[in-house]
Formats: sequence, C-alpha cells, structure tokens
Amino acid sequence: MVEFKLISYEAVTVGEEFRSDEFLIKPEDIETYAYAVDDHNSWYFEDSPFGGKIAHPTLLGNQALLMRHSRYLVNAGLHAKMQFEFLEPLRAGMRVRTHGKVIDKYERRERHYMVTQFETRDEETGTALVRGQFTQMIFPQSGVHRETTNR
Amino acid sequence: MKPRTARYPEVGGELPPLTKTIAQRQIDCYSGVRPHSIHTDPEWARQKGFRAPLVQAMMSTAYVSQLMMQFAGEGFVKGGRMSVSFIKPVFVDETLTVRGRVKGREPDGDRTRVTVEVWCENQDGVKTMVGTASGMEENA
Repeated sequence: MVEFKLISYEAVTVGEEFRSDEFLIKPEDIETYAYAVDDHNSWYFEDSPFGGKIAHPTLLGNQALLMRHSRYLVNAGLHAKMQFEFLEPLRAGMRVRTHGKVIDKYERRERHYMVTQFETRDEETGTALVRGQFTQMIFPQSGVHRETTNR
Repeated sequence: MKPRTARYPEVGGELPPLTKTIAQRQIDCYSGVRPHSIHTDPEWARQKGFRAPLVQAMMSTAYVSQLMMQFAGEGFVKGGRMSVSFIKPVFVDETLTVRGRVKGREPDGDRTRVTVEVWCENQDGVKTMVGTASGMEENA
C-alpha cells in the first residue's frame, strides 16, 4: 500500500525523484489555458511558423510543480522561484510526462524551501520539450503562513 | 505561416506592457477547483493566513511568455528561457502589469540571445515578480 506522508522539511530528501502522471495535451486544455491567462495568440488556434497549431510554452508548468503531490500530502505551498528553458514547441496530441529530482533544500529566515529540477518529455519520441527548476516553500507544521509574502 | 519577425527593442528599450485583471474563474481554470486550496477555496486561504484566494504565482510566467512572444516568437518557443522570483502575493481581482526592458544582446550560435529584465507590478505599483527572460533573434 502506498503511504503518503505530510510534507515537511525533514521528510524531503535531496536526491529523491518524482514523476508526474502521463498527460495527453488536448485542444481543450489549450483553450482553457488561453482563457485562464488571457492569451489568445493565433499560433495556438490557427497556425504557427512551426507548421500547425502549437500550445503556450508554459502550459505544462503545473505538471512539474505538482509532482511532489505524487509522494506527499501537501496542505499548501508557496512558489518562490521558477526557471524554464523552452526546447521544442508543445502541441495538442502529445503525450507528455515530467520527471523531477530534488536538488537542494534549505532554510532561510526561518522558512523551509525545496528546489526541484525537472524535464518534460514527449513520451512517444523521448524528446525533451521543457526543462528547468523551481523552488517551493514547505509550509510550517502549524499550517499557517505567518505573513502575506512569498519571500 | 510567416514567422513573426518583429525585433526586440535595443538595449534599454521597453517592451509594450500587458495588463491583466485576474478573476476567480480564471484562477479556477488555471489551478483546478479543489477544496483546501489557497487559490480556489476562500475559507482555506483565510485559514492559511491570506485575506483572499491567491493567484497562482505560475500565472505570472504565462504573462511573461506572452510579453516575450510579441517579438521573435519562434525564438522564444524554441530556445526561450525564463528565471523569475515571486516576491509578493497576488490576490483575486487584482490587476497586474507585466513589463520588460531589454538588458542585453549576446551572440548565441548563429543567432542573438536577447535578454529582457521582466517584472510584474500590482495596481499599487508594488512589484510582485522579478527576473529575466530571453529569446533568440535571427541576426540582421
């Protein structure tokens, strides 16, 4: 039986690896994303210089960010830093999966952070599409953020 | 389709800003509606110390992407980079302005990498996100 621990600074280990679910990019995902971020560039709905429609380069950011939920119970979290490198265009019809690895954890101003490196690949071809890293705050055990700032 | 050929401004030049007022429904679509979410559950957000649901910080990266794609879009979709820090929370119904100023141009293979200092500021002029983004531009 898979056990999910409540995420904590102590529980997270540098070197541990995450893997997202496989995700099929569908045209409606691109439409929903376009509405959410109010970006209706014609490249996402008509045609692009890459031949055919593509998706927003940042479309799969949440697939990476939510990987820790596959191993931990996460009551809340704040996102502190994000790095992206866009390698290839994303398209509807691609089956994609993100792989990640915790590369650091640290304490700063009495707050705990974890840093995860990730790469999102096309599952069928193995092509790397997006890579990067992100820093997330691990919420305190009390479960209450002590002031309304991400830093 | 023809590529977008507009070139980034020269070093020191500003990109045309984008303004976004972010509704709860947009946050719901971006983050997914779930109980116990600081983005979509107002009561949970309050329990966690926030006065209202928070706009997911990652949404600001989509705005930066849109800002950068106004120019050499091909060189952002394939070869673009972004590195940002989220320094203040953004709450539902707030208005963000996304800005960029060209910081440098460096040769990168047979193209030029244009690096832009980017930031988001809220309706009070407070910066909520800072960082850099870069895209590849064909050499003239």
